[in-house]
Amino acid sequence: MARLAAIFLAVIFLFPVLCLSFSADNPTDRRLLVLVDDLAVRSSHSVFFKSLQTRGFDLDFKLADDPKLSLQRYGQYLYDGLIVFSPSIQRFGGSLDQNAVLEFVDAGHDLILAADSSASDLIRGIATECGVDFDEDSAAMVIDHTSYAVSEMEGDHTLITSDDLVQSDVILGDRKIEAPILFRGIGHSVNPANSLVLKVLSASPSAYSANPKSKLSSPPSLTGSAISLVSIVQARNNARILISGSLDLFSNRFLRSGVQKAGSSTKYEKSGNEQFVTEISKWVFHERGHLKAVNVRHHKVGETTEPAMYRINDDLDYSVEIYEWSGTSWKPYVADDVQVQFYMMSPYVLKTLSHDQKGLYSTSFKVPDVYGVFQFKVEYQRLGYTSLSLSKQIPVRPFRHNEYERFITTAYPYYGASFSTMAAFFIFSIVYLYHK
Amino acid sequence: MAKSTSSDAQMLVRSLHTAYAATPTNLKIIDLYVVYAIVTAVIQVVYMGIVGSFPFNSFLSGVLSCVGTAVLAVCLRIQVNKENKEFKDLPPERAYADFVLCNLVLHLVVMNFLG
Repeated sequence: MARLAAIFLAVIFLFPVLCLSFSADNPTDRRLLVLVDDLAVRSSHSVFFKSLQTRGFDLDFKLADDPKLSLQRYGQYLYDGLIVFSPSIQRFGGSLDQNAVLEFVDAGHDLILAADSSASDLIRGIATECGVDFDEDSAAMVIDHTSYAVSEMEGDHTLITSDDLVQSDVILGDRKIEAPILFRGIGHSVNPANSLVLKVLSASPSAYSANPKSKLSSPPSLTGSAISLVSIVQARNNARILISGSLDLFSNRFLRSGVQKAGSSTKYEKSGNEQFVTEISKWVFHERGHLKAVNVRHHKVGETTEPAMYRINDDLDYSVEIYEWSGTSWKPYVADDVQVQFYMMSPYVLKTLSHDQKGLYSTSFKVPDVYGVFQFKVEYQRLGYTSLSLSKQIPVRPFRHNEYERFITTAYPYYGASFSTMAAFFIFSIVYLYHK
Repeated sequence: MAKSTSSDAQMLVRSLHTAYAATPTNLKIIDLYVVYAIVTAVIQVVYMGIVGSFPFNSFLSGVLSCVGTAVLAVCLRIQVNKENKEFKDLPPERAYADFVLCNLVLHLVVMNFLG
């Protein structure tokens, strides 16, 4: 009896938790699985994890080789996001492997992957599948002899600073990150032809990727600003991935320490790491830059119902509502560059939508003088925002035979010729009958 | 040689002219009517060549009315011509009545197709 009551109470209390999970109406992730090499990471990176927990995430810490690891049960995913802070793991435990992680991302969930100089082939393989290639030399680290961080010990210049950030308020927040960011780890390169991957933090032009313990025998393959230290990937299903070459970037030591770049006299009390990891984790977990477009409506000017078909040379109105998720609620999205196309094999009409400040975008235009099956297409891809791809099909018919003007101006000569022939026939018959 | 060719041509035209002057008046009236109809048709075709064939049905009905009435007038001329042995027994009134009825039907069709 007491057991029944306990189960009943447990279900009652779990119910609201189950309702808070990821859904289209509430796109912020809630439950995150954090995989670590050893549980000391949990305390050495506690500031980062605490900032996630205060924003409402439920973190579930597990060892990466825990034999009971699984992302899904009975076809349902147990977590909304994955943080892999276990760079040296050779094989995940339980039912997790590279394919399982990639399927998790393909299902629309987010991933933060941190590598290290001890990164295993498994971690490098996951990164390559996401579009980011770590240096092939497994002992290489990023070394910079002109932008290293000044410290009391004489180091090998693998602790470097960087302030080469991508310019995007959506990804990095509106406040500028003043202090440089500390980094120690491996570098990766990003294919410039890939439009889904972006370098967020690049190394300075004097950096290179090589083994710090041995002499350089040949020029390094990765040099300069082509080395990316932190990259993001926004997949076509709007899943977001953050790949960092350094696990120490997130650690308490780097978050709290001051920084001074070699060669400059400015000493910052606090590095830019804390602001950087907080803002970028907000972007990765869909607290910023997540758009939804609802309520696509079109109708003839002056009417309100949506017709099943338009006629050529009709005037019509098109409207759509676009909202942005602010972390807690949907706010109207404000931008001046959303465009709608009236498309059949190529856009016949391309118009920029104007908005009232409440997120309703609308415009009106005239249907072109071509008939066929058209689509209203809105294709909106901007850096850092989810991509919007709306399309609504509508047929356009030509004039019915009684919709032309009654007397066509260009046909007046033909009308005149027919009537003059009739008049000539009449005069001819009079003359023919009554001539002498 | 050239002088004789040009004078031959002049003699040819003059003989045609005198032969034509001998035709009866009613046939000449019919010929005038046919020439008028064909000229109107040619004007319409030239106009279509310039402007394009947009209301194609109007173009066709205009040309049809001119050419159709010209054809009916030629038929009337054949049947009424006294030198034509084939229609010796056909009363000219009957030929004229056929001409009028066919023209009425033609113009009815033209009015409908004009658009």
